[in-house]
Amino acid sequence: MTGPAAVGRGEVEGLLRELAPQVLTALVRRYGQFHLCEDASQEALLAAATQWPAEGIPGNPRGWLITVASRRLMDQVRSEQSRRAREELAAVASPPSGRFGPPADAEPADRDDSLALLFGCCHPDLSSPSQIALTLRAVGGLSTAQIAAAFGVPEATMAQRISRAKQTISGTGFDFSLPSGAERTERLRAVLHVLYLVFNEGYAASEGDALTVPALSEEAIRLTRWLHRLLPDDGEVAGLLALMLLTDARRPARTLPDGSLVPLAEQDRQKWDQAKIAEGTALISAVLPRGEVGPYQLQAAIAAVHDEATTMADTDWTQILGLYDLLELAAPNPFTALNRAVAVAMVRGPQAGLEVIAALEADKRMARHHRLIAARAHLRELAGDTGTAAADYLDAARRATSLPERRYLALQASRLAG
Amino acid sequence: MKYLLLIYGNQEKWASIPAAEWPEAIARQDAFNRKYQATGELIGAYGLADEVQARLVRREDGQPVVTDGPYLETKEYIASFYLLDCESEERALQIAADMPFADVDPVEIWPILHEAKPDL
Repeated sequence: MTGPAAVGRGEVEGLLRELAPQVLTALVRRYGQFHLCEDASQEALLAAATQWPAEGIPGNPRGWLITVASRRLMDQVRSEQSRRAREELAAVASPPSGRFGPPADAEPADRDDSLALLFGCCHPDLSSPSQIALTLRAVGGLSTAQIAAAFGVPEATMAQRISRAKQTISGTGFDFSLPSGAERTERLRAVLHVLYLVFNEGYAASEGDALTVPALSEEAIRLTRWLHRLLPDDGEVAGLLALMLLTDARRPARTLPDGSLVPLAEQDRQKWDQAKIAEGTALISAVLPRGEVGPYQLQAAIAAVHDEATTMADTDWTQILGLYDLLELAAPNPFTALNRAVAVAMVRGPQAGLEVIAALEADKRMARHHRLIAARAHLRELAGDTGTAAADYLDAARRATSLPERRYLALQASRLAG
Repeated sequence: MKYLLLIYGNQEKWASIPAAEWPEAIARQDAFNRKYQATGELIGAYGLADEVQARLVRREDGQPVVTDGPYLETKEYIASFYLLDCESEERALQIAADMPFADVDPVEIWPILHEAKPDL
């Protein structure tokens, strides 16, 4: 055997995920029909995932994938029986000129095509779960089974979600023209929101076998890093990447081996990932002075202030409060206001924080949200009012939407009651 | 977020529905199921057998003991359940409100906090 040596499955997986959006955009460029191209591209990725670890990575992996995907696309179109499909066949089957794909040393991806693909997957006509699923598959190169496992739903359910999303994208007449001006800003905001949701989903979830149940927070960081390479001058893209890194840095200290939550104040800061903190801090420090400060940059800046403090007591709460004031102006949101209330309490005392929370209770939905009640419990405890704090912790535990949170809050209630 | 929708009933209630209306009722429920399976939000829809077919299982000295039961105190018991995975509580409430049965009786909705991870 003269071919390249067998390679690790993880290495192949990594390469395939990098190439996934490039293969899909090349196919859609050539043949149109987003729906069919996405299926074909996914099949090519699966073929490579089984063949390459044994046979080695081909000299031009991107060209290999595009060739295989194109063949699959042809097979698929030929096997379609409907009249409509035959009409489409006429357009698709016209032979492409030359070899598939540029040589291996060519510029790997057309930046604008990759962006257009990402914008398409986060199309405003799709619900957020559909945007997330489609982005992970079409841009992230994850299989339907992997995405289903990551979200804990049956593969059939996820397949339906993705299929419906692809039909919607095909229906909007997917093309590679990029929006401009205000529309571009809005579409990019939708993309960042999807990436942030993926990150949060992963941050909340438990660890799994990385190859079968992908770590969504790592995937979100990978995709945001990729987007940052495409748009290095965009402050909010850099801000989101920094926010993810600075938040993910605390992951090792955030839970105990039994899965229970450790609040920021009690985390072993020695366990924080200093490399991620350094990278995130460098990113946010470089981008903040540019002036166009948005909500992700501000949240990253807040995370950076927390991360640089060696103890909870060392935390520069005055700076954090100032950043929350700016964040409230930039992106008013009841949860931002709630976090700000805690910062107010740290700077001006628990009573001042409780007054801010009291104002938030005017919103009925907020008044019964477990986060508000838990924050109120914390501040009441700081104020020495343990009786009402215990009652609040218990109430918050009842309303919590995740098991570790519920356990943590119930534990606080029993600690104060006991 | 996952949600459980529950519909309650009993034999008396089912018997009160005229036979001629069943095909229509089933068709409406099937349409509901198809609609939300297609959106990828309905993970599963399950109808339960009658109360008299339910059993209680316990272990005594390491041996399983099966008895009839549960001899419910409540008049109505779970007739069917639906497992949803959707974006928000608002969306889950919207889907519950679209349940054909919601015309007759309230549909119970419970957020699901945790589950055993699927084994791939």
